[in-house]
Amino acid sequence: MKKAISLLLTAVFLTLALAGCGGGDGSGGGTSESDAAAKYGSAVLKLYLPGEYLGENLISNFEKQFGVKVIVENFDSNEMMYTKLQAGDSYDVLIPSDYMIERLIAGNYLQPLDKSLIPNLGNLAEQVVGLGYDPDGTYSVPYFWGSVGLVYNHNNVDPSVVEAEGWSILRDTDYAGRIYIYDSERDSFMMAFKALGYSMNTSDSGEIEEAYEWLREMNNTMAPIYVTDEVIDSMMNGEMDIAVVYSGDATVILDENEEMSFSMPKEGTNIWCDAMVIPTNAENPKLAHEFINYVLTYDASFDNSSTVGYASPNAEVLKEMSTNTELYAYNEAYLPRSGYDKDEIFHDNVTLQRELSKLWIRVKAEN
Amino acid sequence: MKQFRSMTYPYVAWITVMIVVPMLLIVLYAFTQSGNDVLTFRFTFDNFVRFVTDKIFRAVLWRSLYIAFFTTLICVLLGYPIAYAIAHLSEHGETVMILLITMPTWVNMLVRTYAWLGILKDDGVLNAFLGLFGIGPVTMLHTSFAVILGMVYNFIPFMILQIHTSLNKMDKNLLNAAADLGANNVQSFLRVTLPLSLPGVVSGITLVFLPAVSSFFIPKLLGGGQYVLVGNVIESQFLTSGDWNFGSAISMIMAVIIMLSMYFTRKIDVSVASGGKE
Repeated sequence: MKKAISLLLTAVFLTLALAGCGGGDGSGGGTSESDAAAKYGSAVLKLYLPGEYLGENLISNFEKQFGVKVIVENFDSNEMMYTKLQAGDSYDVLIPSDYMIERLIAGNYLQPLDKSLIPNLGNLAEQVVGLGYDPDGTYSVPYFWGSVGLVYNHNNVDPSVVEAEGWSILRDTDYAGRIYIYDSERDSFMMAFKALGYSMNTSDSGEIEEAYEWLREMNNTMAPIYVTDEVIDSMMNGEMDIAVVYSGDATVILDENEEMSFSMPKEGTNIWCDAMVIPTNAENPKLAHEFINYVLTYDASFDNSSTVGYASPNAEVLKEMSTNTELYAYNEAYLPRSGYDKDEIFHDNVTLQRELSKLWIRVKAEN
Repeated sequence: MKQFRSMTYPYVAWITVMIVVPMLLIVLYAFTQSGNDVLTFRFTFDNFVRFVTDKIFRAVLWRSLYIAFFTTLICVLLGYPIAYAIAHLSEHGETVMILLITMPTWVNMLVRTYAWLGILKDDGVLNAFLGLFGIGPVTMLHTSFAVILGMVYNFIPFMILQIHTSLNKMDKNLLNAAADLGANNVQSFLRVTLPLSLPGVVSGITLVFLPAVSSFFIPKLLGGGQYVLVGNVIESQFLTSGDWNFGSAISMIMAVIIMLSMYFTRKIDVSVASGGKE
């Protein structure tokens, strides 16, 4: 009996010891944590990104291959991430959105990337290179990109009507009581500005006033339901006929519910990009570069894009996902439109965003 | 006793730092303009005037009070009989029932409210049940019904527990005495039980009305963002509009309304209780 117990204990200790080595020993090609520490200065990478934004095996594969440990933390919004950075929290890699990267660059929160450590930069798709928030890619490497569009039930809504009306379908009383609006001042005012033919980055008070009236009329005549991430489940179940959705979420919805289609309105939309950056106070910038380089490999990018549904920044993966009939070849939400002159990237403007937020709560409060 | 008094200092310090200072900050923000330097304040009533003179915000305030009022009313009407029934169970049954009523509060409120989405939606559990009788589907989600239901569900345990406690503290001999003096069941309930349980009802009302009037995620989730309440306006001022001064002013207005309503509820309590004794 005693023997059995001591054997068991030995087994437990051995397992613990092995686990302590980052689990890299069994995989053959892996390196141990001490090797990694010697190479990068530390074997720990702190990653801060939005929730549900990682490929199934991305982190475990990276840990195995490089013999390191990744600590993942999630944020609900770019603004929340910004507040934590301001408070002095340290991370090695962040994945914020385009406009927030502008704000971080302006505030000297980011360090320039050492491109010699990221040879896989050559894998980037041309659509995500040279975007306005960081034109030379000095500070950031794209992670996911997409658009905002309309998911609609093509059994109840005629596709030709959706194409013809664009964003204005959200004020077409034929569909009153059957629409979901994404509850964010940024996306709502974007639709209104686009529907009116203005730039979504306008700060002209007359144009803002017109957009406000556009949204008021929508609120007062259409009885819209304001949702955030619940929209994914609800549209999968076909609860409403039209919804404003981010393209990656739309990909997932279309994949689950065959009655749903996706349209990018002709008046133009927001093309956005979330990208990896390294903050100035990162404790392990070398490993951060290694991680960024790793994400750009075919396998890691494929894992990311096929798990999450957003468009890949990796040219090969993007091509495979959008042409392979087993994958998303028939899913019109996957590949965002590119090169359309009415589409825009959102630029950072704190004063404008606050102004729009004040108007947005008034739109919703009126009933 | 002096040595004991000095032992309260840590608590006084704690209360000062965690409650008094933040309250004063809210007052300071409410009466100043935005864009202040650290040391110069420009005092103003603008934030209050802006809220009170705005038709949309007045409607929001009215809607919040209305929904909180109905939530509280339903909680009293449902909670009192439940508490009364529990108080008359055997000791064992009472323990089990109180456990059952408190148990849902062990789960996070947000999670429980999310569950209602699945129950109330058009093809949800409740509509499937109604469908068995050939009714529906009835649209329940994103209506004021859903918002009030969500609030009653979340806050009614506070009401039941308060009333139950005050019923339990009551001396059962008083009922025997009432019967001895010729009161029937209805009379002894109205003249003995009810007045003696009123303090429980009043603290129950306070515990339900307060969170109901300032709730913001229940209307957001179950009301589909269409039922913007004061809590939502305050939230947006701090989180996205960055207008802390206006947000603080609204918070202060709410605090005053709540204090006034508590004052009047307690007055009713005192007058009814003393009326019962005479």
